[in-house]
Amino acid sequence: MHVHELNPKRTMIALVIFAVIIVVGLLTLSGPRLKYALNPEQTIELVTYGEGMVYPYELEDVLNGSIDSILLWDIRNTFEFGRGHIPGAENISAVNLLTPENIKRLKQLKEDGMAVVLYGKDQLHANGPWMVFRQLGCDHVNILMGGYDYYAEWQDMLGDTYYDDVYLLGMPDFDYVEEAASAVIVAEEPSGTKAAVTVKRKKKTVVAEGGC
Amino acid sequence: MNKNYIYLTLLLIVLAGGLFLLPEKENYQHMDPEDLMWSIVQPTRYVSTDQVAKRIIEGDPTLELIDVRTIDEFEEFSLQGAINIPIDSIMVPEYQDYLGIEDMSAVFYSDDDIKADQAWVLAKRLGYDHIYVMKGGLNCWIRTIIKPERPASTAAASEFELYSFRRGASMYFTGAEIAIPDDEGKQKVQVARKKKTVVAEGGC
Repeated sequence: MHVHELNPKRTMIALVIFAVIIVVGLLTLSGPRLKYALNPEQTIELVTYGEGMVYPYELEDVLNGSIDSILLWDIRNTFEFGRGHIPGAENISAVNLLTPENIKRLKQLKEDGMAVVLYGKDQLHANGPWMVFRQLGCDHVNILMGGYDYYAEWQDMLGDTYYDDVYLLGMPDFDYVEEAASAVIVAEEPSGTKAAVTVKRKKKTVVAEGGC
Repeated sequence: MNKNYIYLTLLLIVLAGGLFLLPEKENYQHMDPEDLMWSIVQPTRYVSTDQVAKRIIEGDPTLELIDVRTIDEFEEFSLQGAINIPIDSIMVPEYQDYLGIEDMSAVFYSDDDIKADQAWVLAKRLGYDHIYVMKGGLNCWIRTIIKPERPASTAAASEFELYSFRRGASMYFTGAEIAIPDDEGKQKVQVARKKKTVVAEGGC
């Protein structure tokens, strides 16, 4: 005689408890706060097709107010932001980009049909954060080519950057093979031709200068 | 036999069937987006062309250079000992075998640093560690290592030191002859020899 058969309800109780635990477990299973919307293959496509790039000359329309659906986010630190930034930009330093409030705000902006342009010191600085946003599915987040340094250099003639290509990255500036083969290094010039160094001496003051 | 046993068995079979619905297991663990952003914010992933040159010259066995440009570009020119993983093939398992080797530090490079940085973000997301980006890429490599610029005569001594390292590195990588300017009035080097002493000097 089996022990369980003493109380036929016992297996029933076990069955119910078992089912309840599994159901509760499935219901309370919580996913991570942020999930990737793009898989790695899609991310590769994104970066190889150069999507989401904002050219410096496109800023002109944003700055003169003819486009008002674009927000500029400066991801540099507060100190650098204080020294100079693109007019109308907001300072959100890189460590605060993924805070729950910011994610909520981004979702709201997407619903409102607004776009965000990230910029850092140079394009490289904003590249990582931009890629994270895109991978999270924020396809209204874009990146400014050239970054702030390029903007600062050209800020008075942004329209002219249309003809410039310095900010275009990912291209060789040299014919590597030629450079690597033909380099001839000129050694140090003979020491006789060195310019004489004139040392300006501080005049001695009579009174002893400060000190402890 | 108790009917409940049958129910219990059926329930377990159904639950076991649920395993088929699980996504296919991947051989890597995606990094949490927040952690990814955190590691992106740190600039520690960048290494300079000088550091890379030094490690190549010293024959550092832990250095693994990874060229993320296309195969054609790689075949035309690449750094010494580099492996080619075009950025669009980073998901190919055979290529991924080169990443995540214990004790090796993988340094990504491309024409400049954008593509390499993008490859870095991807590889980091896939959970690989000990990966770096060569700042400035090959353009910077040519500018600093192959064609180093002589610092101004007022520059700090450390800059001259760097310049002399780069000149040496340039010779190492290009096999260039040094064009020594004609210099008639060269001073003869006088070697002061140590006098021999009769008594054997110390030793063990």
